[in-house]
Amino acid sequence: MLRLPALTLRLAILSAFAVFFAVPVLWLILAPTKADSALVTASPLSFGSFHQLSLAWHHLDRFSDHIYRRWIYNSLYYALSATAITLAVSVPAGYGLAFGKFPGRRLLLSLTLVVMIIPAAALVLPIFLELNAMHLLGRSLSVILPFSFFPFGVYLAYIYYATALPPGLLDAARVDGCSEVQTFVRVALPLAKPVVALVFFFSFVADWNNFFLPLTVLADSNQYPIQVGLSDLLSSTPSFNPAQGGGGQTVDIFRPELALATLIAIVPVAIVFLVSQRALVRGLVGGAVKE
Amino acid sequence: MRGLRVPRGLPFVLPYLPFLIVFGIAPTIYALDLAFTNATGGWAWFHNFVRTFDDYRFVPAFKHILLYTSVWLAMLVVIVVGLALLLHGRANRVSSTFRFIFYMPGALAGAASVLVWLFMLDPVVSPGRFLLQHVLGATLFAQSIAPGNLPFIFAMIAFWTGAGGWIVVMYGALNTIPHDLEEAARIDGASPIQIALRLKLPLIRKWIAYMVILSFATGTQLFVEPQLVNEASLGLVPDTWSPNQLAYQLAFRYADFNGAAAIAVDLLFIGLVGAFLIVTRTGLFRTDD
Amino acid sequence: MARVEFDDVSKVYDDGTRAVDRLDLEIADGEFMVLVGPSGCGKTTALRMVAGLEEISDGTVRIGERVVNGLTPKSRDIAMVFQSYALYPHLTVRDNIAFPLKIAKLPKDEIGRRVDEAARILDLEPYLKRKPRQLSGGQRQRVAMGRAIVRQPAAFLMDEPLSNLDAKLRVQMRADIKKIQSDIGTTTIYVTHDQVEAMTMGDRVAVMRKGELQQVAPPQELYDNPVNVFVAGFIGSPAMNMLEARIDRGGEGLVAHVGDSELALDAETLSRRPGLASYAGRDVVLGIRPEDLEDAALANGGPRLRGRVELREALGSEVLVHFAVAARQAVTEEMRELAEDIGDDRVLLDQPAEASLVGRFSPRTQVRENELVEVSVDRRSLHFFDAQTGLAIG
Repeated sequence: MLRLPALTLRLAILSAFAVFFAVPVLWLILAPTKADSALVTASPLSFGSFHQLSLAWHHLDRFSDHIYRRWIYNSLYYALSATAITLAVSVPAGYGLAFGKFPGRRLLLSLTLVVMIIPAAALVLPIFLELNAMHLLGRSLSVILPFSFFPFGVYLAYIYYATALPPGLLDAARVDGCSEVQTFVRVALPLAKPVVALVFFFSFVADWNNFFLPLTVLADSNQYPIQVGLSDLLSSTPSFNPAQGGGGQTVDIFRPELALATLIAIVPVAIVFLVSQRALVRGLVGGAVKE
Repeated sequence: MRGLRVPRGLPFVLPYLPFLIVFGIAPTIYALDLAFTNATGGWAWFHNFVRTFDDYRFVPAFKHILLYTSVWLAMLVVIVVGLALLLHGRANRVSSTFRFIFYMPGALAGAASVLVWLFMLDPVVSPGRFLLQHVLGATLFAQSIAPGNLPFIFAMIAFWTGAGGWIVVMYGALNTIPHDLEEAARIDGASPIQIALRLKLPLIRKWIAYMVILSFATGTQLFVEPQLVNEASLGLVPDTWSPNQLAYQLAFRYADFNGAAAIAVDLLFIGLVGAFLIVTRTGLFRTDD
Repeated sequence: MARVEFDDVSKVYDDGTRAVDRLDLEIADGEFMVLVGPSGCGKTTALRMVAGLEEISDGTVRIGERVVNGLTPKSRDIAMVFQSYALYPHLTVRDNIAFPLKIAKLPKDEIGRRVDEAARILDLEPYLKRKPRQLSGGQRQRVAMGRAIVRQPAAFLMDEPLSNLDAKLRVQMRADIKKIQSDIGTTTIYVTHDQVEAMTMGDRVAVMRKGELQQVAPPQELYDNPVNVFVAGFIGSPAMNMLEARIDRGGEGLVAHVGDSELALDAETLSRRPGLASYAGRDVVLGIRPEDLEDAALANGGPRLRGRVELREALGSEVLVHFAVAARQAVTEEMRELAEDIGDDRVLLDQPAEASLVGRFSPRTQVRENELVEVSVDRRSLHFFDAQTGLAIG
């Protein structure tokens, strides 16, 4: 049993790190409620007023003809379409890889595994050149299609089917008269709910947070997703870009506006994070641990 | 084939194939092709690699990420594993609260995390201005992001966003250790610290290896953080701080796609080696059933 | 309703393993056929070839008069009960049972009628709205049965359907399945590794070993006249005692030398095993069922073995007495395989000078552990096997 000093030490270490992890988040939530000057003078973790918050939103929204809304919309559009395609492709693929008997199955799995572990950024430039050759640059497809390739999703679906779905169940369905397609649609698919949630989470978060690829393939700021938009906004904020001083005055983008923009930008991911912590662990640890 | 004309399972995999080929395999081959040819398409041997290596920005960029990934990996291994071990065996309610606090910053990945930390590093507004002034000796934002600090700052940002997820994973891995084993060790006379170090740690070793290799490969691809800091620093921080930025600049400022591809191949190579090590050495991923 | 026929059927896997080797077996219409054997003997593979879940490498399988080799499971008109039950976890009990009928697009009222009927037969009516995970093992097993019987198929295929149940329930379900089968009269192939199930349920039992069929016979026949050492050792519990023996001429006819004991084989024994005459002067394997051994103090006459009691297990109605005699245990390939199958790897590793035998004694026996005992051998049903081939000497 733990002695009291050890227990206290343990709690102290954990709490110190909790402060490190939590304070920036708290600051970000509180910053938009204060005027730019109050950010400097008032206590960093104090609450300002809702009036300031709505003022900050007003300024942010007015920036460049409501482009902030456009960025959020773009991000939702890109991430949701790509995730939808990812799900439609990777769940059947994982099933096929788990239970299929066709030449090249192992090769396909190995390739998937390797491409999954290579960091996505490593392939951005060649993908850019490829999209250029396909004349897709500057179109939303140039973001959605590369986003839709999500080998990790295929691997998750494969592992789920290979470990959680007893092959006997598929045999039973076949003996009960199902064709191959019916076996998938009536038995394997309804049982895929946990892995669908998992793939949705990883794919959506990865797509939402991706910065490099959209920056590279999109030219028009009206098409930017929010991550790239934030970088645009940053270069319009005078406190980080004194050269923008005059510009900052005219567009009314100061630190509270920038903080609010950041805060809103993470809401969708934060929601997904909140609801998924548990499923995440189960899926990751339960799925990838070798039996 | 039991009257089936198509091999079982193949139709389900077909829609995935074009994606794998177009956005997984083809870019890799395309990058290789570009890296070994010149602007007119002629075979260039290793010319592009030598050329980019001799670029005055190449070695610093790789030095930067080497330092950055070393710091980051050290933080991950020591702190993530340490915190996971501290959390494991705590009352469940306490443990889950801490895990939640550690994990939430993960929602602020990419550009959002950098913006938050730009504020945190600005001595004017930061809640940690006391630390900035007394530890970094910075009273101005520009002093906080002095070039010498950057690898550490980026490591801290990456740690801040990513550590929670890994803590949750490590904690989950610790939970797969059978309770009996821990009780047996306790009866054998092991102290909590001995149990942590001699029993739990070896049992989650492959997860630690996985975290290290994957993070190393990801770390070498650093792009968004230095890119935003460059924008916020008025050119104090070069826009070719990391290799990926250098490749980006070669491609889009100088239209040197072959040089850019050569750097992409350098990075791809690191990524592939990492992937290979994870698959063959950690035994975490399986392709057989 | 149909007969099922294996005609020279083989299953060879890609790696060259021969899981089933030239199986010839005909199951009559309405018959309950049990395939039994240790794990890896090919019984499940044979069953899955009938189901269409496993490709047939060679030979033909017929259901009714139809060759089904090329047919999908769907078009074979069979139903199967799996070891794991394979219930669809996302469907209720009612939907699980109705599943094959829905796939076959039967009219709704017909489906309802058939499901209700099956639920009544299997006492599942209170559980129709539940999901499989809310059921006990026995209830799940019955749902799996229900899903099979609603289809009114040409044949039932059952793959160790009771092996996941606890012992008591297994005895109950054994009887239930047998009764349902004889009521509806559907041809059934039942795979098990449990020889008690095989004996109690089968109209006939097919014993398999390493992909090869050893013997097909009604249970009693199998018990009384096993064709070889393997079948003799597999069927019966406790297993038949196997000893090395030497046949010699002597006395009124033949004698079997077992260690330093001598069993005189009387005329009655010889008339039942006439083949023995040609084995004079040769080594054989002598098989003695435990019930043919009795405490000599309680038996009248018969040849005797002398041994030392190692263990006494009182079961109430009988006493199992393990005793060592100065003789050599017969160790054949088959015996090793059987020992491995029950997970006993220490048996028969080396050959001690003493053989350990089990006798099924009357509860009135007074023998005690570590004491010497005189055991009387009932000669009427001794078994003899060729020492080289393992085949029964008839």
